[in-house]
Amino acid sequence: MLATAVNEIVSTKINPNVVPHLHIWEWHIPLYLFLGGMAGGLLVITSIMIILKRKFGVGPRDQGEGCPCLAVRLGSILSPTLLGIGMLFLFLDLAHPLYVWAFYTTIQPTSPMSAGSWILIAFFPLAILQAMLVNKRQLRDLNIEPINKVIDWTENHMTIVALVNAHIGVGIGIYTGILLSFFSARPLWSSSILGMLFLVSGISSAAALMLLLAPEDEKPVYSMIDANAIWIELMTVGLFVLGGLTGSANTHGAMMHLITGDVNLAGMSYMFWFWGVFVAAGLVVPLLLEFLEAAGVHVRFPNVAPVMVLFGGLILRFLIVFAGQSYHTFM
Amino acid sequence: MSNKKNYGMVIDTRVCVGCSACVYACKQENSVPEGYCRDWVVQESGGEYPKLTMENRSERCQHCDNAPCVTYCPTRASHYDENGTVQINRSLCTGCKACMAACPYDARYVHPEGFVDKCSLCRHRIEQGLETACVSICPTGSLNLVDFNNMNEKTRALLRGKLVYRQKEHAGTEPSLHWISASNKPGA
Repeated sequence: MLATAVNEIVSTKINPNVVPHLHIWEWHIPLYLFLGGMAGGLLVITSIMIILKRKFGVGPRDQGEGCPCLAVRLGSILSPTLLGIGMLFLFLDLAHPLYVWAFYTTIQPTSPMSAGSWILIAFFPLAILQAMLVNKRQLRDLNIEPINKVIDWTENHMTIVALVNAHIGVGIGIYTGILLSFFSARPLWSSSILGMLFLVSGISSAAALMLLLAPEDEKPVYSMIDANAIWIELMTVGLFVLGGLTGSANTHGAMMHLITGDVNLAGMSYMFWFWGVFVAAGLVVPLLLEFLEAAGVHVRFPNVAPVMVLFGGLILRFLIVFAGQSYHTFM
Repeated sequence: MSNKKNYGMVIDTRVCVGCSACVYACKQENSVPEGYCRDWVVQESGGEYPKLTMENRSERCQHCDNAPCVTYCPTRASHYDENGTVQINRSLCTGCKACMAACPYDARYVHPEGFVDKCSLCRHRIEQGLETACVSICPTGSLNLVDFNNMNEKTRALLRGKLVYRQKEHAGTEPSLHWISASNKPGA
């Protein structure tokens, strides 16, 4: 029998209070990343829809007085709303929430968390203006003078507002991934393509949500956006996995910990969550369903695909955040 | 002699017996809450029988010169002080935990009172010209507080001719803890 070399480490630190991977970020952060990504995606899609309609006369059906279709109107309202809910979870995650003001007394250019806290604030003003404008018919009925003035201003600057919003939306989407990918101490997160993955996933989740909200005659356009986003997301996930597997021992080990991991998350291993729930049920199956729909084969339950996409997007955030923390620190 | 201080430690693992006195001295000196610790003892054994090696180490925050926790802190709570150590300003810490995710040494924890905490290299004692609690209690002289800008002859003699390493140097953190490897022991 071959003698085996051993390496054993015993530490007095084995203590859930002190070992950070057991308690850095819990459920708040993945939930915030999901909602933030979706809010960014909603802002991107609705802004592009508005620009297409105003500048090129294509896109969503006009419902009179320049108000676009229901899905764009609801999406514009949901975008800042979902981000607000996400920020609430972010706030609840702080160990000392009363000191939240400390984020806004400084700009730390090297800290993604600092950049993020400012971009979150920058998100709201224009997103709310845009939501007000596309819902102006309802707001005009209230006939409140300051609101009328704000709507008039936005009306005159709508293209530039929507253009800026589209970029802020992309910024938020990428930021949710960059937040994690700057941490070189956590090998799974330390991948620059994570920003791209979360952006595409956010756009796909946003399209799925709009598909759920849209009336029957508006559904095809969101189904098409979603199918394209899912397709790109599949490629990006592939690159993310390949980048991890072909990396150093650190990144390789961390990626294997995710895609073949037997760590238990709510009764199932990481491996099943990743391949079975996220990749198969969250991407491949809805892509097929939406492809069939586009090809004219009507699926009996049209809401199944978008619900699967939304669930897949949520699971992606939980998996990345948890698997990144439960793997050992950079060695 | 440089006026600018750059404090760190030289830890002689050859003589560390893993008694944990440093851990308990620190807990008492710094009122570390029950169940938490700012420093800890690691025993690493390796090799192949009968050629086995063992190294005891008293570990803590590395007070890096290029500290990721300071880089990623969004509020300037984590900062470098004038002694070349890394400190936390509790009245700026929101407890966002970015520093904990950033630290390759897992040196930080969330204090139950809602801020992130870690070894301060006993800043309050250094300012009074004292050594850190862990250094002052170490019964074998394994722990040595060193100002690397003004190294004395005793430290130079301690380091001379030995295999000295720093942990995870390839993380680019420029850690200030220097370890005299247990492999320097005769017969190791």
